[in-house]
Amino acid sequence: MSSLRLVARNEWQLMRRSRVAQIAIALLLVLAGIAAITSIAHRNANDDLRARFQAQANSEFDGQPARHPHRMVHYGHFVFRPLPPLAAFDPGVDAFTGSTIFLEGHRQNSANFGDVRQSSLLARFGQLTPAFVLQALAPLVLIFVGFGLIAREREAGTLRLLTASGASPGAILGGKALALSGVAALMLIPAGLALLWMMAAEGAGAVAAGSLLLGYATYLAVWVAAIAGVSAIASTPRAALIALLAMWAVATVLLPRVAPEAALSVDPLTTKLETDIAIQRELREIGDSHDPDDPHFEEFKTSVLQEYGVDRIEDLPFNYNGLLAMEGETLTSSLFDQYAARETAQEKRHAAIVTSFGVISPTIALNRLSITLAGTGMDGHRRFLEQAEAYRFAIVQQLNQLQAEAVTFADDSTRNSDPVAGRRVRIDPEHWHEVPDFTYRGATTGERLQAAAAPALILLFWLLVAGLFLREARNYVLGAH
Amino acid sequence: MSDSSASQAPIRIDGLSLSRSGRTVLSNLSLSVEAGQAYALLGGNGAGKSTTIAALLGLLPAEGGVMEVAGIDPVEAPEAARRVIGYLPENVALYEQLDAYENIAYFLALGGARPSRAAIDEALDAAGLEADARRLRTADYSKGMRQKVAIAMALLRDVPVLLLDEPTSGLDPRATADFNALVRQLKARGTAILMVTHDLLGAADCADLIGFLAKGRIVEEVATGPNLDVMALHHRYGEAAAA
Repeated sequence: MSSLRLVARNEWQLMRRSRVAQIAIALLLVLAGIAAITSIAHRNANDDLRARFQAQANSEFDGQPARHPHRMVHYGHFVFRPLPPLAAFDPGVDAFTGSTIFLEGHRQNSANFGDVRQSSLLARFGQLTPAFVLQALAPLVLIFVGFGLIAREREAGTLRLLTASGASPGAILGGKALALSGVAALMLIPAGLALLWMMAAEGAGAVAAGSLLLGYATYLAVWVAAIAGVSAIASTPRAALIALLAMWAVATVLLPRVAPEAALSVDPLTTKLETDIAIQRELREIGDSHDPDDPHFEEFKTSVLQEYGVDRIEDLPFNYNGLLAMEGETLTSSLFDQYAARETAQEKRHAAIVTSFGVISPTIALNRLSITLAGTGMDGHRRFLEQAEAYRFAIVQQLNQLQAEAVTFADDSTRNSDPVAGRRVRIDPEHWHEVPDFTYRGATTGERLQAAAAPALILLFWLLVAGLFLREARNYVLGAH
Repeated sequence: MSDSSASQAPIRIDGLSLSRSGRTVLSNLSLSVEAGQAYALLGGNGAGKSTTIAALLGLLPAEGGVMEVAGIDPVEAPEAARRVIGYLPENVALYEQLDAYENIAYFLALGGARPSRAAIDEALDAAGLEADARRLRTADYSKGMRQKVAIAMALLRDVPVLLLDEPTSGLDPRATADFNALVRQLKARGTAILMVTHDLLGAADCADLIGFLAKGRIVEEVATGPNLDVMALHHRYGEAAAA
């Protein structure tokens, strides 16, 4: 057996007999297990709830009595964002962004009911999920188990005996790092089992789940190398512990909170209220489809009359009010799309800034990788908003078209004064069944892998840096004698 | 100091100079130890005794001079040199979570040796560690017990060179006498032993040569034997240490 493996095996033996290491590792494994179980249960309960509410909303929409189509436009519809299978591993921004949107004509509402808004402040500091345990707690346990790998031996005097017995500095440091890697691998087991469950029971993709596990393994390998290297360089175990705790606090606590703030200060975000006011102002400039004297819509009417070669809207082969509503919705939707595109661009800029912070904190790089592969990042939320808006536009236009085709202009114009016309404009509720249900399409594995390329490269950069650091630290194993 | 056969000596130091933190610790140090010979290096605190051991182990870079351990230059090939050296530090540090058997097996395995349990017991018997203590974790061991484990390791490694750093420091008279007997036994096996010590009586008892180290160089070297005047030597040692 090589010296490196002998050192690793001995270190494992020492850890098995160390009460501190036993307790720390057992505690983390229990926490990781609890996190996996509760997170899967939480995700499933949430997803079931959303599916149930979605079915209820669909059923209530379909079950509406005979109504005027435009009443249905204003009756609206709720859509819920289903949770991707890997959300049980890393729920990402789900708790913060909201999961349901009320869709209605002429308006674009924001998503509501984020868990955080309904729960205590504690939820903002990290939910107990496999991702949180591995991102924040696992490095901490590795630090407590490994800070003395070399420094403790140096202080105790065993390091000199070790070298005098024929072990090279490289074998000693490599063996110690290998032993700590074993602890890291042990920590990955509950997460690996949870991912297997998500693949088998929830339909999570094997490539995404495997890449996720690989990302976390890389992250922990970076920490292992950092811990072993610092332990080799530090003059005492205490100095190693303090340095490593400082590194942990900066990388996993401070920087992940500083990065979004930095992005905001570089590129300030427009508030929801400001955006709403701006949209309303522009809507007023575009015109009001409900106002018969509005210049834009007057011009539109003229062009329609010309196109159909008639002088009056009453002579059109369809209900002009429906067409007018369609035109109004097209204009407002196009405005919403412009604002949404601006918001998306800004969010992408923010995401790029936050991702770039990964160069100084591997936790940020891993977090970006994790939520991207899990499909629970802002990209996924934005995708939901875009699909919800497309769906809103489609159903509103379908209802407007019903108004144009299934309701006569005459009835529509007199429905408030003529009770018979008022009854006739209420069309057959069978039409509501023709409105398709909302189906959210999450990003494909390929799309997620592509989006995760940048943080993955940053993590690989960290692995390279950590490897070089460990290699350099070999010179300090004996140098501190 | 060095004779014509020194080039064949398992331990050979010739004109070694070494500084630490800008201070000259060894200055043109020369000595050699033949196979089956024990050389006791005496000197005051800071004279360079332990530095000499560290240099032979290849742990410190030499600035000048030549060193050889069983024909290997520890500066050029420190790991190869360590494979032929048995080293007994002043304070033997063992893994406290392991027992004597496990410590010995581990340290020897690093050097490529895999002694049987019987061989380890034999070495521990020779070193004088009580049988019922061998299964205990070494956290509860006294300094003497730890030293006995390290001696057993040195015996088991069966190397041509043994470096002993203050081997009897902290040992009671009985344990010191046992240790000296062990050194004689090792000499009889042909091991070249370099020990650094403050214990002049012990050195006179088991070493063949005693060298006084002052300011990084040998100032006097004497051969031990029945006619050695230990009191006169003690006086000169005191002077050398004071210098």
